[in-house]
Amino acid sequence: MAKRVVSNVAQTWAPTANNAAATQFIAVKGGSTTQIIDCLEFLISGLATASTATGMQAAYSSTLGATPTVPPALPNADGPMIVNATALASTVVAYTAATTGPIPNAANTLPRLNLGLNLFGGIIRWNAAPTQQWTSVGNAVNGGETVLWNNSSAGGNSGPLNAHVIYEPY
Amino acid sequence: MSKSEGELFVDHRASPGLPEDVARKMGYEPSLVGEGKLFEAATIQCVHCQQIVIRNPFRERERASCMACGGAYICDMCDDIRREPDYVHLPFKKVVDLVATGKATLVSLGARPLLIPTKGKEI
Repeated sequence: MAKRVVSNVAQTWAPTANNAAATQFIAVKGGSTTQIIDCLEFLISGLATASTATGMQAAYSSTLGATPTVPPALPNADGPMIVNATALASTVVAYTAATTGPIPNAANTLPRLNLGLNLFGGIIRWNAAPTQQWTSVGNAVNGGETVLWNNSSAGGNSGPLNAHVIYEPY
Repeated sequence: MSKSEGELFVDHRASPGLPEDVARKMGYEPSLVGEGKLFEAATIQCVHCQQIVIRNPFRERERASCMACGGAYICDMCDDIRREPDYVHLPFKKVVDLVATGKATLVSLGARPLLIPTKGKEI
């Protein structure tokens, strides 16, 4: 299917712990119990005006976000990277706000992508190799929803940033 | 970097970078993410648990691989777990296949994925 990109821009991301609801985040969840989503790129660029180390991480949610705002409200966005892409039968739930944010898992046996950087001029980007994408499957906890957030457990401090996630649903 | 590796790009060329203690807490080598540094590294992925790891070019210990997965790389944790007596080989792609075809529902991913069969049969 077509690649899509969800972005969250110009917000100050407050750090939250592994097992607490994220307040600023990007989350991508399957639109059905069988949908596969490959995350192909995570990019974060810092906007801070003073040195601010953040513990950005990507992980699966142990509790899904409640009542997500879909599509994200401007200035955030979510859409296909090919403008004439065919609509999906199962619409992916990509969101940057919810009444209660997703809770990233705290399990040491689940994967976690470390994307820490200094938001004062720092940029971090992770690209997946072919067949080595970050993949979620379904729409349940611990594998069906991916969340990018500022992890206080990894030394995160509050700071402004722009971020996007490129993903491909199937 | 080969085509089978991902890429991590950490650009602190216009930034004070990460303090040493913070860098260590985040799992970086501090000298690579300090002020003015550009850190680019290859990443590889475990075929069992999907964990993504930065390839350490100085590693001398052998990296594990799974012959049942065509000799693909597996991480140290999965290498340890697969030696346990009750281990069941269930690579990530198999999990994806079972869930995507509706044969199982996912309870948890990771080094020991947990699935529930939807049709009352063992997986």
